[in-house]
Amino acid sequence: MMSLYFWLSLMVVISSIWLVWFIYRPLKSNAFNLEKSNIALGKQKQAELERDLQQNLIDEEVFKQAKDEITQTLAIELNQTTDSPVNTQQPVSLWLSGLAVVFLSVTSLGVYQFLMPKDAPVVQAKQAVQAPSLEQSTVELKQYLEKNPNDFGAWQTLGLVLFELDDIDGSLKAYERSYQLNSKNVSMLVEYASAIATSQNDQFTGRASTLVREALEINPDAPDALYLAGLVAVNAGQFDLSRQLWKKALSLLTQDHPDRPILEDMLVELAQIQGEAMPEYQVVINVDLSDRLRQDEFKNHYLMIYVKAAQGRPMPVAIQKIQIKDFTGMVTLTDKNSVMPSRKLSQSRQVIAVVRLSQSGAAVRQTGDMQVLSKVIDVRDNPIVHLQVE
Amino acid sequence: MLIEIGHFALVLALVFAMLQVFLPALGLIRANFSLSQLSRPLLWMQFFWIIVSFAVLMNAFIVDDFSVKYVANNSNTELPTIFKMSAVWGAHEGSLLLWALILAAWSVAVSVFSKRLPAEVLNHILIILGLISVGFLLFLLLTSNPFERLENIPLQGRELNPLLQDFGLIIHPPMLYMGYVGLAVPFAFVLSSLVRGQLDSTWLRWSRPWTLVAWAFLTFGIVLGSWWAYYELGWGGWWFWDPVENASFMPWLVATALVHSLSVSEKRGAFKHWTVLLAISGFSLSLLGTFLVRSGILTSVHSFASDPERGLFILIFLMMVIGGSLILYAWRATLMRSSNKFSPLSRESGLLINNILLVAAMLSVFLGTLYPLLLDSLGLGKISVGAPYFDAVFIPIMIPAVLVMAIGPFLRWKKDTTQRVGRLLKGSWIGVTALFFVALYLTDNIFVLLAVLLFIWIVLHSLVLLVQRLQQKGKPSAAFFGMILAHIGIAVFLLGATVTTQYGIEKDLKMTLNETVDIKGYKFIFKGVDNFSSQNYRGHKGVVDVMYQGNKVTTLKPEKRQYVTGMPMTEAAIDPSLYRDLYVSLGEELDDKSWSLRIYYKPLIRLIWLGGIFISLGALLAAFDRRYKLLSQRAVVNRRRVR
Repeated sequence: MMSLYFWLSLMVVISSIWLVWFIYRPLKSNAFNLEKSNIALGKQKQAELERDLQQNLIDEEVFKQAKDEITQTLAIELNQTTDSPVNTQQPVSLWLSGLAVVFLSVTSLGVYQFLMPKDAPVVQAKQAVQAPSLEQSTVELKQYLEKNPNDFGAWQTLGLVLFELDDIDGSLKAYERSYQLNSKNVSMLVEYASAIATSQNDQFTGRASTLVREALEINPDAPDALYLAGLVAVNAGQFDLSRQLWKKALSLLTQDHPDRPILEDMLVELAQIQGEAMPEYQVVINVDLSDRLRQDEFKNHYLMIYVKAAQGRPMPVAIQKIQIKDFTGMVTLTDKNSVMPSRKLSQSRQVIAVVRLSQSGAAVRQTGDMQVLSKVIDVRDNPIVHLQVE
Repeated sequence: MLIEIGHFALVLALVFAMLQVFLPALGLIRANFSLSQLSRPLLWMQFFWIIVSFAVLMNAFIVDDFSVKYVANNSNTELPTIFKMSAVWGAHEGSLLLWALILAAWSVAVSVFSKRLPAEVLNHILIILGLISVGFLLFLLLTSNPFERLENIPLQGRELNPLLQDFGLIIHPPMLYMGYVGLAVPFAFVLSSLVRGQLDSTWLRWSRPWTLVAWAFLTFGIVLGSWWAYYELGWGGWWFWDPVENASFMPWLVATALVHSLSVSEKRGAFKHWTVLLAISGFSLSLLGTFLVRSGILTSVHSFASDPERGLFILIFLMMVIGGSLILYAWRATLMRSSNKFSPLSRESGLLINNILLVAAMLSVFLGTLYPLLLDSLGLGKISVGAPYFDAVFIPIMIPAVLVMAIGPFLRWKKDTTQRVGRLLKGSWIGVTALFFVALYLTDNIFVLLAVLLFIWIVLHSLVLLVQRLQQKGKPSAAFFGMILAHIGIAVFLLGATVTTQYGIEKDLKMTLNETVDIKGYKFIFKGVDNFSSQNYRGHKGVVDVMYQGNKVTTLKPEKRQYVTGMPMTEAAIDPSLYRDLYVSLGEELDDKSWSLRIYYKPLIRLIWLGGIFISLGALLAAFDRRYKLLSQRAVVNRRRVR
């Protein structure tokens, strides 16, 4: 609170200095009074009228009349120009300056005090200055819940905070209170189920699975609930159902969602558990050879087209070796082209496509070989890459 | 604490606006130069504090400070940063803060770029602008505080209206507000002249460029709004005669009349009554637009924030502005006598007819917009006034205005003869007739024929005028080129609007996989619907291949989105071109795995917005005419001499 009023006072002081500065050092006038302005404009209008005459925009007959009208208008305007009292740069009296500063300070702080909520900002200002620790939050939440025992959202938050502090029993009690107050809150149901599962050595059985089912009845498209439902299904040995639920959860997550790779890996793991064929991915590489390389002298050269891991060992994951005379312009790398049976293309994620033109066709790059690399690609996107060799 | 600083900055801005009124006014009354010259520094400080306030609010959105009610109600952590920033003006409180910021920015621009204005006049103008600022800042602080805190801070905020999560809506409101608020400047010029009792050449000359700039922004803002409605609302329309659209269109019509009226008043000293009333009406209609949108008496896509209390505040403010201005006008009416005569066939008469027609058109829109509200509020029943009324009343008024618009610039000031005009335009009329016969051969649609006739009429006359002026001695002014561009803009708009309305095709279809529909030779092949998800929404994306004469033109992917908060949205897919737009909107999934789709063929629709852009550019060109700079330089020379 103290620091807030310090800043507000500083703002008032800056404002007051600005005001007083310009009271005692007023901006210079452009010394261009109304009379001069109207005379200048009258002259300009006459010049424009003459231009209008030259451009045939006014008849010669009425030209003089229009010219007289401009003169008359100017005369009227000069007549209208009241003899305003001569502006003097007399100093502003001290009491007026003081009054202006007092008005500025009192009105701004007074209006702010009038508009400010009576109690909230004190707490909020404190909150804004320093984010409370989890322990502090627990204390404050408990104090709050003593006064507001029916706030199910606060009970849920307490459950989450206690879970983070490894107080699982406390967390379960808090979630249960929240559940009793509002059993239709999907995020709470999911968190509560997770907490129960943690207390059961990560087993999603019994109450945990009931809560997940309740969550899905309320919102069948809740990704968190679908994820947990998949775990429940795994616990029950229902792998097909599990896969179905995780695939649905995956379709609901954004491309850059942090949980996405986790779900994808779990689906792969699931497939391995079931002994099923892994989903197969492929990389299509289009290679554009320059006219020079298409000439006869290169027809027996080899194209080594492969992908290698973007990070780690540089050896190819999958490769095709073709002579230029047999090359159609495109190759498709699949698991069949994998270099090692234990490390198939479909098991890789981030790779780089490479095209190497070699006279010898040796596995290791030789002097004089030409090589082109792609940017990093994801095998699971079934990417199509275009590379140009010149 | 930052939020409290932002709130206090707004309070300081209000205090500076008050001081901007009182201290310079006292200085002018007591002929104290030091006090009267305070108007500019006080305004600058007011502007500074509003910027601080605005920056604090924007920061609150960016850092997801849900302790602020306005932020919690209009943003959440999933919202992309660019929309978090534009969410500042996504609802009532923030858009009012933007209004106050733009008003202060206009005032600063007047204070900085009006070096040629006598200090006394400028100080009067800044006092009036300060008074308007006081009204708006009070409105903000008393009824629409954007910095209100929440006692219980939510972990997550709500959703910004998905309609507003769009590039068009990032720039449409600021542009429109630039136009709305810009009309405060000619209003302040007029009021300062009425207060001083000096309705002279100075006021007329220097208020015109400001009016032109405001008019350009208003035009651009309306064009952006129309473009946004077309692609975002999924109805394929570009103008709906929505009351809130009308609320921006009415000041535009009056501002158009004002721009023309000012040119006569400035050059010939005539139409001063008109000019004064139009300047007052223009700003009053801007305030009326705010009242209509914010009071809650209207229901439309724009009325996303409404509150009767706020409406009452604006209504009182509106009555004070209109009432006060009209009292001043009545008081100073004798000063506006003009002895400058002109014959019925003269440029002055042409501009007078133009003004009368524009004001009549505005009144027709005014009546159609407010009459149902009046009946409803008096308990006399509910009536609906829509496009049939506006088309039947507005268009017949505008046709003669467009005809006069093309001939007007050929007329001489003060007096002209039918023989001379006939001789001058004989060639154009032969050209118009010949081209019209060609059009007759191409179409038999009476509305399109009329639009083509008006298009040829304006374009041909404008080109003939351009050639004639280029052949004369002396280089034509930027204002002349601006006028030509703006008039051609009207022609381009007219053609686009009529052709797209008359020849546009709309089909509501039930389509199954790989089903094809033929519209104007384009084959639309429905290739199915994919699921997808994004940062803060997920949904269905339709895939429609478009073929023309066996060649693939494009693949359109209309979307049906479901935002995290549950709000649904339709996102049309458009293949744009100057000649035609292909527009597909995805409807609902039907029981037998088919989908409903709405497909539009929109010929020449882009001309609508192209015309609007021409008008805006024309206005800007005229605003930066050399004649305004010339006097500015002269003013500088005079100042040097005085020193």
